[in-house]
Amino acid sequence: MGATATVLLWASALLAPAFGVLVFTMNSMARVTFALLACLVCVGGIVTVLGLSYLGVVIVLMMVMEMVIMAVFMIAYMMNPAGLMPMSMLHNRRGALVISGSLFAALVAGIFLVPWPERGGARPRNTTFQIGAALMREQMLTMITLGFVLLATMVGATVLATRRGRYDRFGDELDQRPARDPAGGGVGR
Amino acid sequence: MDLTAVVLRAAAARPRVLLVTVPGGTAVRLAAERALRSRDWPSASTPAGADLMVVAGPDCPPLRSALDRLWQDMPQPRARVRAQAPDDVSSVLDAARDRLRSPGRSRADVRGTADGNGHSDRGHPGDRGVGGGVPRAGDPAAEDGGPGSGAYGEPPEDGSRGGRPGGRQGAVGAHRAAPDDRRGGHPDPHDTAEHGDDRRADHGGQGGNGEHGGRADPGGGSGGHDGHGNGGMELPGGLPMAEQGEDRDGLTLDRLHVPLGPLLADWPAGLTVRLVLQGDVVQEAALDGPPACTSTDLFWTRPWTRAAAGEPVAVGEAARRRAAARLDSLGRLLSVAGWPAEAVAARRLRDELLAEAPASAVLPRAERLARRVGRSRTLYWLTRGIGPLSTADARAAGVSGPAARAGGDVPARYRRWLADVVDDVRQSDDTAPLDPVAQESPRGRWDAARPPSVALTEALPGLLVGAELGAARLIVASLDPDPDELAFRRAEVARG
Amino acid sequence: MVEAGAWWTVLAAPAILFGLAGLAVVGDAALDARGAGRPLTPGTAVRPLLAVSRALLAQPRRLPAPDRLLWRAGVITVPVAAVLSTLVIPFGGHVVADLSVGVVWFNAMEALTWAGLWLAGWGPNAAFSLIGGYRFLAQGLAYELPLMFALISAATGARSLRVTDIAAAQHGLWYAVWMPFALLVHLAAVLAFSFLGPFAYPAGRDIAGGVLGETSGADRLLLQAGRWLWLAAGAAMAVPLFLGGGAGPGLPAWAWSLVKTLLVLGLLVWVSRRLPVIRADRYVELAWVVLLPPAVLQVLVPALVDLNL
Repeated sequence: MGATATVLLWASALLAPAFGVLVFTMNSMARVTFALLACLVCVGGIVTVLGLSYLGVVIVLMMVMEMVIMAVFMIAYMMNPAGLMPMSMLHNRRGALVISGSLFAALVAGIFLVPWPERGGARPRNTTFQIGAALMREQMLTMITLGFVLLATMVGATVLATRRGRYDRFGDELDQRPARDPAGGGVGR
Repeated sequence: MDLTAVVLRAAAARPRVLLVTVPGGTAVRLAAERALRSRDWPSASTPAGADLMVVAGPDCPPLRSALDRLWQDMPQPRARVRAQAPDDVSSVLDAARDRLRSPGRSRADVRGTADGNGHSDRGHPGDRGVGGGVPRAGDPAAEDGGPGSGAYGEPPEDGSRGGRPGGRQGAVGAHRAAPDDRRGGHPDPHDTAEHGDDRRADHGGQGGNGEHGGRADPGGGSGGHDGHGNGGMELPGGLPMAEQGEDRDGLTLDRLHVPLGPLLADWPAGLTVRLVLQGDVVQEAALDGPPACTSTDLFWTRPWTRAAAGEPVAVGEAARRRAAARLDSLGRLLSVAGWPAEAVAARRLRDELLAEAPASAVLPRAERLARRVGRSRTLYWLTRGIGPLSTADARAAGVSGPAARAGGDVPARYRRWLADVVDDVRQSDDTAPLDPVAQESPRGRWDAARPPSVALTEALPGLLVGAELGAARLIVASLDPDPDELAFRRAEVARG
Repeated sequence: MVEAGAWWTVLAAPAILFGLAGLAVVGDAALDARGAGRPLTPGTAVRPLLAVSRALLAQPRRLPAPDRLLWRAGVITVPVAAVLSTLVIPFGGHVVADLSVGVVWFNAMEALTWAGLWLAGWGPNAAFSLIGGYRFLAQGLAYELPLMFALISAATGARSLRVTDIAAAQHGLWYAVWMPFALLVHLAAVLAFSFLGPFAYPAGRDIAGGVLGETSGADRLLLQAGRWLWLAAGAAMAVPLFLGGGAGPGLPAWAWSLVKTLLVLGLLVWVSRRLPVIRADRYVELAWVVLLPPAVLQVLVPALVDLNL
């Protein structure tokens, strides 16, 4: 690892928990969301510097989109109206302290207790292919199953959340065209 | 002399113009639009993006405060002028450019001293001298029912902004440091206004869309928390929280109170529609009466009023005016629909028609516009199904004219306009005398007691409910009531 | 053939990007002048660049209770992300950083615009501005997935995520020829993430400028610059992905890159004036129901070709 990479690694490693602390100390939903995003971008940086550039950049890519969408939902559905009041991000302090403390202890213990394997052979220049092979060869079945589970979850959640069913849209005989929708769609249905 | 002067001169060569029309100012607006287009001074849609505010039309006291609010929201360096007559426009614009250029004046302006920037109006005949546009807290000038433009849901700023001497940084500092001064110490200008019971509507939008002063300066104490509360509970900021309500899917979401108008880009000047939004879907829409301007200057229907008064008017003249009026409406619709290139084409045609260009020269270009816009599949796809108004419903509501004849959604209406424009251009050299009853005026059958725009306006709230905000703007633009007619009716009613 | 990371490329890449963006602005102004019937002279075309001088003078915006930190962060993010995206775009024989995951890097920088624009809409604490920010997210959800598949099509064809590899893999046959749909989707997405022309929905005139509505001075300049920089960056990215990069007869590689980029840029500027703003409430359904299936099939084409090779 070169000097630049070391500096980047340490900078990211220090900034990530700093942003993480901000998540719990700031009092606006928007700021908290973007502090969390900054934290996750630092994590992406760490992963990149450690040589998994594909995973690192994808973490940044996905987390930006995810956090922005999350900001929308957090602000829209906060009990505290619109999430706009200055608010505390801390709930159930004692329980949270116990849980997070023990989790942290377990993870730190893991660092020392896990028998880390020795590196065998040289590290490939481009690790993207290795990730792809690892996921799509041995774990192909897992990935396919996961994909379907995720899809089913999304469809199921949407169906459960929608009050209007197809009989509301297409009428009792399901023959009403176009459907009765509050807003028309883009392809003329 | 110095770098600033050079930069000022460069910037003043192409100022961004906030063109504000008041009812009765149509002729001036048309002249100003033509002048701005030929000078390549771009149009700004908000005061924040403008260097120059041009008020087109006569003084309208009920709109003064709204104009002042726009002016207050403009960043320095800036200038504000008013053109009362179409012939003034050119000289007024030149004067404004000189004012933007002149570093001395602009610096004085930047200083924002307690004289309320009054200097910016000195010695310019075209100007009405309303430049002291920074209302102090409690100043009657700040009694503003609706925000100056739909984009501004904010209450009038603290008096410290303009009322205190000191540099602009100082003024900002005062603003940030003295929230209590604004909210607590002084009565909120809004609260002292006659619209006290409207306060919820005026401020609701704040809470809903993010008054979050607490974040910006958490150390500022309670005064910093603008507009967070529950229900009607007053918060230290003095702003009630946005209330909640069920949306169309049954989810309980915040409701934003956002007024559209009275002064908004590509909007019938003076019209105010108070919307209750959830997200950007309109839940409720209510019409404010038009501001009580006593203008009787009807530009678009002048041939009809003249013919009704017994003057001889040619059919061709009326057809020309009618075609120009509909091209003007089309320009607004296309601008709202986000098609500036075709909006410019429609406006150029309009100006040529009004400048008495021969029909043979205008007709091919009118037909080309009708082809390009009328047959655009994209525009049809984007506006299809928005704001349906059947012929029967329109007639029942008293609407005559293209909106009733089109009998359909937004594309039906703009296609009707386009077809009518082409027909009218063909007729525009007809010299037969005009029968003001048989021939339709631009917005429908002319009736001085009840101008056709009144029915169009009254049809609006029903059409807006359930529409997304962009669609709501399209609906208004596709009906396009004429603010002059509304002001005319108001004047007639006032007269008895 | 491709040199990576010579020191001067760090300066040259942003300079070229700014130059291209400036040319796009000038071209747009020239078309504006023609449409408005103004005489077309070199002077009229460069007039929009006077906005820079105005931005230096104008006072920053003062609003009640804005979230200044987030606002500023959002406004800066947009142009900065556009410049960072050019790190991986080869221009002729040179590239600033020839990352092994260049395509993903470009995509990640483009995604930063989501955050930037939402923040720029949120910060000023004004209704129309906020709606503008939300509008960009709706638009983003519509254009992003087809764009990802378009980028992956090119990467699959070259069996590499490195942009220089993709450009080099097209000797003889440009990907534009056998992946035309991916190119089309990419170009539409370029207009969408630079929120210009038909995709100016977040900054629409119907919401009084949306995300731009409350900005003035340097903030406004940064956002506007971000739009045109993104347009230029997207056009430049289309060249190595679909148009063979710097390959071409006669001229040096950098000249071919420049010519191709300018052609794509000119096409985008021209198209952006020919369509009204496409509202996301209509576009989302089109993007997911109509554009997405062919985009997936488009990835299948190079995948099958690769399997046969």
